[in-house]
Amino acid sequence: MGSNNEKPRILSIQNLIIKFKLRGQVLTAIRNISLDLYKGESLAIVGESGSGKSVLVKSIMGLLDKNGFIDQGQILYKDYDLAQFNTEKDWLRIRGKEIAMVTQDPMTSLNPLKTVGKQIEECVVLHQGLKGKEAYERTLKLLRDVGIGDVEKRYKQYPHEFSGGMRQRIVIAIAVACNPKILICDEPTTALDVTIQAQILQLLKNLQEMYGLTTIYITHDLGVVAKVADRIAVMYAGDIIEIGKTHEVFFDGKHPYTWALLSSLPQLGSKGEELYSIKGTPPNLFNEIKGDAFAPRNPYALNIDFVERPPFFKVTETHFAKTWLLHADAPKVVPPQSLQAFFEEGRRYAHE
Amino acid sequence: MLWYIGKRLLQSVLTLFIIITIVFSLLRLMPEEGYLGAAAEKMTPEQQEIILTNLGLRDPLLVQLGNFYMDLFKGELGTSVTYRTDVPVTTIISEKIMYSLLFGLGAVVMSLVIGVPLGILMAHMKGRWLDRLGTGYIVFVVAVPAAVYYIFIQMYVTDLFNLPLLFDEYNKMSWILPLTSMALAPTASYAMWMRRYMVDELNKDYIKLARAKGVKERTLMFRHVMRNAFIPMAQYLPATILFTITGSIYIESLYSIPGMGGLLVDAIQRQDNSVVQGLVLIFSSLGIIGLFLGDLAMALVDPRIKLGKGGSTR
Repeated sequence: MGSNNEKPRILSIQNLIIKFKLRGQVLTAIRNISLDLYKGESLAIVGESGSGKSVLVKSIMGLLDKNGFIDQGQILYKDYDLAQFNTEKDWLRIRGKEIAMVTQDPMTSLNPLKTVGKQIEECVVLHQGLKGKEAYERTLKLLRDVGIGDVEKRYKQYPHEFSGGMRQRIVIAIAVACNPKILICDEPTTALDVTIQAQILQLLKNLQEMYGLTTIYITHDLGVVAKVADRIAVMYAGDIIEIGKTHEVFFDGKHPYTWALLSSLPQLGSKGEELYSIKGTPPNLFNEIKGDAFAPRNPYALNIDFVERPPFFKVTETHFAKTWLLHADAPKVVPPQSLQAFFEEGRRYAHE
Repeated sequence: MLWYIGKRLLQSVLTLFIIITIVFSLLRLMPEEGYLGAAAEKMTPEQQEIILTNLGLRDPLLVQLGNFYMDLFKGELGTSVTYRTDVPVTTIISEKIMYSLLFGLGAVVMSLVIGVPLGILMAHMKGRWLDRLGTGYIVFVVAVPAAVYYIFIQMYVTDLFNLPLLFDEYNKMSWILPLTSMALAPTASYAMWMRRYMVDELNKDYIKLARAKGVKERTLMFRHVMRNAFIPMAQYLPATILFTITGSIYIESLYSIPGMGGLLVDAIQRQDNSVVQGLVLIFSSLGIIGLFLGDLAMALVDPRIKLGKGGSTR
């Protein structure tokens, strides 16, 4: 969903359902998702823990845990349907070479017994077909590209000799070294402190331009999203409930869950008042979900929300939301007061 | 690195001296009748006194200790007191040590060659039939007392394959069963550790990243997982190897192998101080060398262990 005429489509997920077998029960982690990714864009997938963001991107790389499986749907990339892949040989054509990943925790994501140089070079050799001196030179260039100085010396050092932020740069260098078309950043800044976060995000943005990457960010930090994303997909209980350009979702969000998410931003709270938090808990994915998954926690829920699952309603050419509130027959509902001011301000800012 | 080795070496030598001194002192606390042997009852107290004085047991303790160390630095361990009177301890031990070392080393090689790959395979096929079979084997070996399956092997397997019941130096076939019996337990523990550390490593984040960057599962196993799983192994290996070499008393008596195992028991029973001291010296040296090698191996494979004046940090 979310057509975009300027850029060609690079990856297309269609009607994807992913299930997990757990203690004899079956859990549906991804409930019929369709999503298009366009060349050169950066898409942020936001949602709370357990909403299925990680599962979604892991399925793109064939890295689902052993008890997880794609029940139905397609993941189209180039001439392949990744949903049909099941051998290692299949996936080796994709992993690294086409789609690479920046993992969450830089402290544990590097092999402690190999020099960082060797770990980057492994990718260079594997995916760029370079050897010996050439591979070494390319590795040094990559180190420089991710902002590491004194590269000859750093090449020979081990991960424990680097700080957290530096290690994340190494992890990024490893991902970029594969020369991928799509870069998935799975909470790339969660384990870092705020000043380093900004640097890493800037670095990712620069690399995206330098190497012509299409990036997917997974995060639950809306602040991160605002800095880097062209488009946002909001996930809830294994489904994308709203998707659109960043300013559309941020300043003209339509789904009550998006409202709730934005309202709980600390920046939006007023001093002296309690910060907004979403009441209740996400649904149990072991049970079949009827209607809109958010309905039980939704103060604006309509009767139909409990009965029938809403389809995507088109807001603009690029903005879609799954809520019955957008149906022509629905009563007019406006976002909460505090949010309206934020929307107002944002739109004005966006116009300038 | 040299500094580190030197430091560890010094520590090892010091430990050795402490052990020997303790053993020396303990032996001097034992009742004196033992030195006189079976003829003690027929001797007058004067005769007994002469024998004890000749053995050097009437000298002050510190003098005895001094004499012992003086001999030690000259490479002499003294002569046997009661076990084989007046035969040098070095001669007694050297006659037997080769058998123990050969059997021990044989068992170690066997258990490493079988145990480590078994552990790797078990980790690789975690939860499948091979893993379960291996786990069954490990549980069996650990849970059943060694004596039970040792005797079982000697009683039934000899019949089954028509192998000799007792050790015979000139019959190569007679090496098979003692070696296999000795290797059973260490094989199980190597397999268990290897599996455990491999599984530990496989669950770590860096393996996920390596997979994501498109490393083949096999390359991943050999280049990333195995080496990292070996680090905790490296620490244990030398000590267990030496344990295997020296811990074969039961097997030696079962197959009547003329090794070192029984010698220590004999020497203690007959209160042959010099033989006991010699054996303790050898056993504890081996043990300390093992620990030393373990630390060295760790320092060699793990870059996180910093060597030098700062001490080791991890």
